Amino acid sequence: MNTAATTTTDDHADSHDHEHHDPRLAHHFDSHQQQFDTGKLGIWLFLVTEVLFFSGLFGFYAVYRSLHPEVFLYASQFLDTVLGAANTVVLLFSSLTMAWGVRCAQLGQTRGLMVCLVVTLACAAIFLGVKSFEYTEKAHHGLLWAGMYHSPEHHDAAAADGAAGAGDHAHDEAAAAGDHGDDELFEKTKHTLSYMTTVLWVVIVISGIALGLLFKNPNKKTLATVAGCVLVSAAGMVIGAYSSIGYHHFGHAEKPTDEEILMAETVPAEYAAQKEKVPEPKLAGTFFSVYFCMTGLHAIHIIGGMIAISWLIVRTAHGAFTTYYFGAVDFVGLYWHLVDLIWIYLFPLLYLIN
Amino acid sequence: MATVVDSSNPKSDFPIQYRELNYLNCSKGWKSWFFTLDHKRIGIMYLIGVTCAFFLGGLFAVLLRTELLSPARILLSADGYNQMFTLHGAIMTFLVIIPGVPAAIGNIILPVMLGAKDVAFPRMNLGSFYLWMFGAAFFLAALALGGLDTGWTFYTPYSITTSTAVITALLGVFILGFSSIFTGLNFIVTIHTMRPPGMTWFKMPLFLWALYATALIQILATPVLGITGLLLVVERAFHIGIFDPALGGDPVLFQHFFWFYSHPAVYVMILPAMGVVSEVIAVHSRKHIFGYRFIAYSSIAIAIFGFLVWGHHMFVSGQSKVVAVVFSAITFSVSIPSAIKVFNWLTTMYKGSIRFTTAMCYALAFLFIFSIGGLTGLFLATLATDIHLHDTYFVVAHFHYVMMGSSLVGLFAAVHHWWPKITGKMFSEFWGRIACLGVFLGFNLTFFPQFLLGTRGMPRRYYTYLPEFQNLHILSTCGAYLLGLSSALMAATLIYSVYRGKKAPANPWGGASLEWQCSSPPPANNFDHPPLAGDPYIMESVVYNEEIGGYVPVECQGAKKGSVTASGDKEA
Repeated sequence: MNTAATTTTDDHADSHDHEHHDPRLAHHFDSHQQQFDTGKLGIWLFLVTEVLFFSGLFGFYAVYRSLHPEVFLYASQFLDTVLGAANTVVLLFSSLTMAWGVRCAQLGQTRGLMVCLVVTLACAAIFLGVKSFEYTEKAHHGLLWAGMYHSPEHHDAAAADGAAGAGDHAHDEAAAAGDHGDDELFEKTKHTLSYMTTVLWVVIVISGIALGLLFKNPNKKTLATVAGCVLVSAAGMVIGAYSSIGYHHFGHAEKPTDEEILMAETVPAEYAAQKEKVPEPKLAGTFFSVYFCMTGLHAIHIIGGMIAISWLIVRTAHGAFTTYYFGAVDFVGLYWHLVDLIWIYLFPLLYLIN
Repeated sequence: MATVVDSSNPKSDFPIQYRELNYLNCSKGWKSWFFTLDHKRIGIMYLIGVTCAFFLGGLFAVLLRTELLSPARILLSADGYNQMFTLHGAIMTFLVIIPGVPAAIGNIILPVMLGAKDVAFPRMNLGSFYLWMFGAAFFLAALALGGLDTGWTFYTPYSITTSTAVITALLGVFILGFSSIFTGLNFIVTIHTMRPPGMTWFKMPLFLWALYATALIQILATPVLGITGLLLVVERAFHIGIFDPALGGDPVLFQHFFWFYSHPAVYVMILPAMGVVSEVIAVHSRKHIFGYRFIAYSSIAIAIFGFLVWGHHMFVSGQSKVVAVVFSAITFSVSIPSAIKVFNWLTTMYKGSIRFTTAMCYALAFLFIFSIGGLTGLFLATLATDIHLHDTYFVVAHFHYVMMGSSLVGLFAAVHHWWPKITGKMFSEFWGRIACLGVFLGFNLTFFPQFLLGTRGMPRRYYTYLPEFQNLHILSTCGAYLLGLSSALMAATLIYSVYRGKKAPANPWGGASLEWQCSSPPPANNFDHPPLAGDPYIMESVVYNEEIGGYVPVECQGAKKGSVTASGDKEA
């Protein structure tokens, strides 16, 4: 937000200052250096407020983990470490391309900047695609925040004795065999996700057509670029969602070895099959409250970052950035690194317990 | 004495005075206001908004006090009373006091004081104003959607279970928080990067130091309030079990989160007022401020200490004894920088040539009221007495002495001090002083009896009371009426001056800081060239000029005729 304030050009109707005519220098600054320094300090302060914004959640995490360590030990096993790790890699890579983009902007390499920004945007979208698979899967397992939490133990028991009559037909059908309960839930997850991907495919087609039609038209540059950004975002999310589904298929195709079962972190059924069963602590749902609050807020920041990057892409398409005017790229880059950094903390704190 | 100066020549003796165009008349139409990026116009819009909110909150206060004339029902039902005091508190805190001095006065004065053309991020500044409007709209919506009866503190678990519009109000608080953050961020960056040549950190006017310290608190504390409010919204909407004890949550955790912001926020309210008083006392005593560095450092010290004392709100909420003792000790230590300021103000006045202008009267009222408010804080910081006084009218009286009596009186002082600069018009000193006297008397009449009520055991937030408290309650209500009328008189005096007031000279009070060097009201760009800044408190650098009716720089005072010495006074 503050980057927008610093870098957009001055359009003061009432400006009396005619000393400089460079549209890239706002009227109240003396030099580009001053304008850049101002924006830099502004974005750093903004990042401080962002850190403090998350600090409430980290504080909450610390309080509850120290009060109820068993909840975190137990519930974190339902999170899929592989998907979390994959997302970490995706975000780290996007930070690399972002940093590379800043370098391109400083050197005035517009094409390189464009490529880097588009890759960053795509990575962000892949991250969201994977996240939406994870969320959907959690929802179908009943692993939601405290107020909506359904114990997986209870779910397995219901699945085991068939006519447990929870009023849910899917559950009854799944009762045939304990193992299949999980497959059933996976099918439901896929089904739910298919709604999202259908919408995304429609978006991809429409934005693709728009991009194709507008690409050659120099007057519609902004619109074409926006369509391109939407296309990249939707495609990234579809890739993310399909690869998570694919990974999950792959995980099911092979019979897990005993050792894998012991290490099992992917799905609750595998965990439930373990010999030494850790009893489910009270308040297990609190972990998922933390999980959804923290990752949810982080996801909102990812979306904010995607909007900011799209804005950069549009401005790059217009050739707004030069070797002496690249502040906006730098500032959005810093923001993006912070969002990445927060995930670097979230991943071990949530996924890698024990 | 030249009376006509070529305003197009910035190198003339009278730098930018006698400008025909100023920021108020340089463009016309509603668009030129609503989409303006000029910090002064944004400040004016804030000032109008804050004033409206002040009178709305004040109306609620008057209704509350009227209800408390008798233990029986007069105007409001018990539920209506709960909603009234909640909205009075929430509106006064979030919509009036917090944006009052920094966002309204600070926006107008800070860049001019710095000799800058605008704040660092003009668009964000306008955005911050619209966030304020938006937040205020949410508050009004909460009022319409069944009110709010949690108290402005939103304590859990009641705020989770009550049926009133908690979510709407919390979203309002969240939005207002971001408005406050962006204002603070803007000020810090502006002060860091846009000071004029010659203005080192220790040549900044103390008002800027105060705003800087305030802005630090705003950006460091407000995000925590934001996330706390958001978590409470999510708690109410989805039952995540963070604060709700029914789901294993911890309601006291909410108090910790809330006060981690809201205690520093108390200093967001008082620090800018202290900065105003530093300016007003120095200028109207015609004397260099005493102990400049001490006042500057004490602002920063208060900002830092402010973060370490939040636990004193929870002395009876079940926190460990050790923690309570530590918080109590740190709370005592906050009084040290505050006392440093008071002593330095008093010493500044010593042997100064004090003029009892309206602004100075408000500053003196501030000194008196703040001393009482600050000292009674020590009673509450003491663990043993706090057990007795907690949640009584003593607390109510204490924080009104600090928040209303000091912060708002500081705001009044600021408005009167800079009014000629902001509007280009002089107000009636006579009516201004009458209003000031009324505010001072009315305020003390309202809240001093509440100290007595509190020590005798009258609990806060109660709809009714024992009959033996009635006399003091009636006194308090009479004071509230007087306070309300005097505030209205103050507003009327100021508004009247806009239409009928005498034209203000560039420097009516003889201030030496930069804002007095540009014309009243300032031109849209403030300064064409960054002015050279010196010590902002050398009052001898300006002398009174009768032809102009204000002060001019010594070097511009050609003929000695009609001039008086720097410390002299021919105006009042």
